Amino acid sequence: MIKSLDVQYLKHFFQYAARYKKTAIIGLLMMPISVLANLLFPWLVIQVIDEHLTPGKYDGLMLLIAFMLAVLVVNYIADAVYTYCLRITGQKAIFDIRMALFKRILKLPRSYYDKTPTGVTLSRLTGDLEVIGDSFVLGVLSLVKDSINTLAVLIFMFFINWQLALLVLLVFPPVLMLTQYVRNRLRKMYVITRSSLAKSTGFLQECLLGVKTVQLYGAEAEVEAKYHRYTEDFLRAQLKTNKYDASLFSVITGITSITIGLIIWYGSGKVLAGVVSLGVLIAFINTLEKVFVPLRDFTSQIASIQRSFAAFEHIEELFVEDLEEQGLTLLPAESLLDKLANFETLEFKNVRFQYNGTGPYVLDDVSFILNKGEQLALVGTTGSGKSTIIRIMNKTYLNYQGSILLNGIELSSIPKDSMLHLFSLMQQDVFLFEKNIHFNISLGAKEIAEDAVIDAAEYVYAHDFILGLADQYQFELKNNGSNLSAGQAQLISFARSVAQGGQVMMLDEATSSVDSITENLIQKAIGRLFEEKTVIAIAHRLSTIRHSDQILVLNQGKIVERGSHQDLLAMSGVYASLLTDNANIEDAEGLLLSEA
Amino acid sequence: MTKSKFILHYLMLNKYSYLFAVVCIFVVNYLQVEIPRYIQLAVDLLNKATLESQAGLLENVQWVIALSVVMVVIRILSRMYALNPGRITEATLKNDVFHRLNRLPATFHQRYASGKLISIINNDLTGIRLFYGIGFLQFFNILFALSLTPIWMWRISPQLTLYSVVPIIVASVIFWLGFRKLRALQAQRLLALQNLSEQLMNYLSGIDLIKNQQMGDWATSEVAKINRQLFECTMKIAKIQTFFMPILDYANHFMKVLILGLGGYYLLQAQLSIGEITAFLSYSVLLALPLMHLGRIATVYQMGMISIDSVQKILNNEVPSTDMLRMDDAEKSALKGSTLWVKNLSYRYPHAEKEHSEVTLKNLSFSIQAGEKVGVLGHIGAGKSTLVNCLNHHLSIETGQVYWGDQDITQMSRHDWRSYVRTITQEPFLFSDTVAENVTFGAKQPGQNTADLDVAQVLNLSQLSEDVQRFSAGDQTLVGEKGIMLSGGQKQRLSIARALLTPCDLIIMDNVLSAVDYDTERSILKGVFKRMQGQSLLVVSHRVSALEYMDNILVLDQGEIIARGTHSQLLKSSSYYRQTWELQQHELHEHNEMEPAT
Repeated sequence: MIKSLDVQYLKHFFQYAARYKKTAIIGLLMMPISVLANLLFPWLVIQVIDEHLTPGKYDGLMLLIAFMLAVLVVNYIADAVYTYCLRITGQKAIFDIRMALFKRILKLPRSYYDKTPTGVTLSRLTGDLEVIGDSFVLGVLSLVKDSINTLAVLIFMFFINWQLALLVLLVFPPVLMLTQYVRNRLRKMYVITRSSLAKSTGFLQECLLGVKTVQLYGAEAEVEAKYHRYTEDFLRAQLKTNKYDASLFSVITGITSITIGLIIWYGSGKVLAGVVSLGVLIAFINTLEKVFVPLRDFTSQIASIQRSFAAFEHIEELFVEDLEEQGLTLLPAESLLDKLANFETLEFKNVRFQYNGTGPYVLDDVSFILNKGEQLALVGTTGSGKSTIIRIMNKTYLNYQGSILLNGIELSSIPKDSMLHLFSLMQQDVFLFEKNIHFNISLGAKEIAEDAVIDAAEYVYAHDFILGLADQYQFELKNNGSNLSAGQAQLISFARSVAQGGQVMMLDEATSSVDSITENLIQKAIGRLFEEKTVIAIAHRLSTIRHSDQILVLNQGKIVERGSHQDLLAMSGVYASLLTDNANIEDAEGLLLSEA
Repeated sequence: MTKSKFILHYLMLNKYSYLFAVVCIFVVNYLQVEIPRYIQLAVDLLNKATLESQAGLLENVQWVIALSVVMVVIRILSRMYALNPGRITEATLKNDVFHRLNRLPATFHQRYASGKLISIINNDLTGIRLFYGIGFLQFFNILFALSLTPIWMWRISPQLTLYSVVPIIVASVIFWLGFRKLRALQAQRLLALQNLSEQLMNYLSGIDLIKNQQMGDWATSEVAKINRQLFECTMKIAKIQTFFMPILDYANHFMKVLILGLGGYYLLQAQLSIGEITAFLSYSVLLALPLMHLGRIATVYQMGMISIDSVQKILNNEVPSTDMLRMDDAEKSALKGSTLWVKNLSYRYPHAEKEHSEVTLKNLSFSIQAGEKVGVLGHIGAGKSTLVNCLNHHLSIETGQVYWGDQDITQMSRHDWRSYVRTITQEPFLFSDTVAENVTFGAKQPGQNTADLDVAQVLNLSQLSEDVQRFSAGDQTLVGEKGIMLSGGQKQRLSIARALLTPCDLIIMDNVLSAVDYDTERSILKGVFKRMQGQSLLVVSHRVSALEYMDNILVLDQGEIIARGTHSQLLKSSSYYRQTWELQQHELHEHNEMEPAT
């Protein structure tokens, strides 16, 4: 039932679990003790009845009873230690796997994140590992214990009286067939319930998101009719499932009493003939539960273990996902230390780039030079390749064609960690940690002192509004800065970039408008950066563009125009038309118009 | 509805099923204690050689097997009829909750995020299902088992009953203490798991920053901290589960030993038979099992109560009584083609959040006659959308401000009101279905064939037919979630087609044409005009070009009407209007000139 292919996936789990071999071995050593005690108990029952109760001999009965109690205690301890030790092993392995996966995730290339929704990665680290902890670890533990115990009990039964044992075995095939049949049915129902539930949840979600539309169009009854159908489908499948469940449960509980009847029936003549003792008969009656209940759970345990294989498969995918700089030949970091201490120049020479091997070129023959102290603005419509240039510069994406020279060294041969200190990225989507402002500016770097944080905030004009907050620099941010205004969040992100001390500022300007006071501060901060730093900016605001030394106008990955603001206006080409288009969209804010 | 009324209401929904189930449960439990009695009789006859006793033995064995078969059948019935109502209640509640959600006004939906509502419908209803299903079953199972078993034991031997019950009681106290601790820990673990998820989500969404700033080690150590908490909590749970919870099971074995020892003593004194000891051994299992289930039923009960609370949070929101009203056909046709009167309309958002705090409407008065085309011009934040949402009664306005003919719109149900007024919202919401299904959304009457509706015509009027023809599957093309397969302009035109499909008296277009170019805008407006027959139109825009052909234009600024008149009147009378127009004319001009160049 367990496919060999699936077993491959368990490799990593057992590798991690092997680190806790000692604990696991202690647990496993308890196993034979537990099995032995489990068998000793019915054997003692036989002794009590046959040696003492039937012949009416009281002597030594209490000793046997005391011995039984001791067996119980040993059984309890062995069982508990077995389960506990192996659960520790499993949980520790899961702990380690989670850490290992997280470390891997930090090293995965951007292309992984582009194709994988965050929720999926998250569920690998949470949901999938939970399933492994619940379904696999617990499932295997009880499956192993139950099957060994059941097997031992059966062997024991044969040992005591093979005819009676055979009688019990006779009941096995129909029971197994029934469970197998019902499980198959249940699996089919399960597929139906899953899909109808998914459909109904999807539809529900849509209707709730669009509840305004539903109400404005008076479509309440219409969507309800559809939803009722989904609910009805789900209910019908559920009721069928219930029927099968009830049958399986009831048959298994009933089969014990039926078998007891059969055993007594069969034993009736044998006891008189002295072939079977009364004690054996009663011991059989009392041990039957131990045989049939595991039989019922057997298939569900296997099903639960199989379910966990999907989780193993998911995790394996993460384990085999290529890491960012895997398989690349890079220059040794030490040799670059001096050459990359300060930013001098960055040169793009005929750079072409496509996101995946076959797609269109997002950048096509792009060449430019950025020298220390210069400002470069990238202008163009969405999809023209502006962001791609920045992403290639900071090695978010590798595999470009052509040549990019950072301080004269080919970018593709520089290890990412050796060059990142040169750049500070101010992203359009501000990301803030759920920590205080101080942390969000310093990012926990110890070498950035208290003063440096405040200096950075002052530099971008964020200091004043921070002082106005309840705990000032200790103000705790929530939910990616939802307790700040959008503009304030941007200023924090600016301050962070300044504090991190990168020599080249990469600015991905936000298009969304913020309140006018903060907008003013942002403008001032950007203006200051443009005066004093080396900047490469994806620019939307005219003020930002105007103050650049060089403007590159991109269209479908190509540089179509370049020059200063005045030069480009004079050309009255793409750049000039872009400006008026912009004005079209943003006229309400008056952002571009006021200066145009 | 109070909680107890709620519980009773849904219990009564399946009262016959429940009643039958209770009878079955009782029979099952009765058979469960009765079968060991026959086993006892049979075992006692095993040692007897007489012919008569052999016949008796056979008879008893047959009883055991026959009763067991009966028990299997009745148990199947008991489980079906006790558990099915849980499923039925779940389905009914799903529909009930959805029904209510569809009718609750915007004030409710603003308070509850849709994610939260979905989680209530998916998760909390599971709690309720268990409460009405397995909770009911186990309650009666335990009730009958715990009351019948001791009586049958007592009949055999009162002393032995008393002695053997002691370990069970001690063990169940320990079990319960462990169980309570376990539940607390499980709640704690859930919290740790949530924390972990939140933190991971946080880091994953900031992954670029973490990588670029080389914060990997820091993030790893933060994750390790929470991961450790989760691990420790899990192991605490494991400890209780492996060391405490099995105690009840072992108490059952302990009881068996006691029965053998003490029972053996009584047997030797000829107070008990070997068959009675066997029966007693069976009863010990019947006593321990329900006690173990007691823990489960307590969880089910508690979960059920919590779930009922959260479902009631939705169901206890009454739909405003006016919204329950329905006009009859005569009333409906009497109001057809009325004039919309807006009298001193003021609006302020009740839970003013920062983005809305300033946007209020101040004393707006105007009217829209049947067949009249009215435009509203205003910049972003002028209150245009608020006005639209007041007129279509999406927002809850006070009485005496907006009239349809002589009828105050707050005094009729929203459902009725919206059969007169159709709003095309700024951000169209499309369902992940075909183009045609989206166009006919809200237009389908029960039993009506969608083919009757002239989808093609409205698609044509809204300038979408050409696009649709280019789609591989025509109007059967799937638009994807929220219409993701369509461009912004296509979505808007689709929503216009949707609004044009069924006749209504007033069409409101809330800044709908912003995502299309000027030419398309003009064609769409022409299409809308063509479709209109005695219908009125309210077009809200920040583009003058969309309003030029209106009979009357209101200029809205900071929630007030600062000017009104036709296009040519306003060009003379309102400097605000004129400036906006000139600015946009200029762009339009440049735009048109630039076009050949690009």
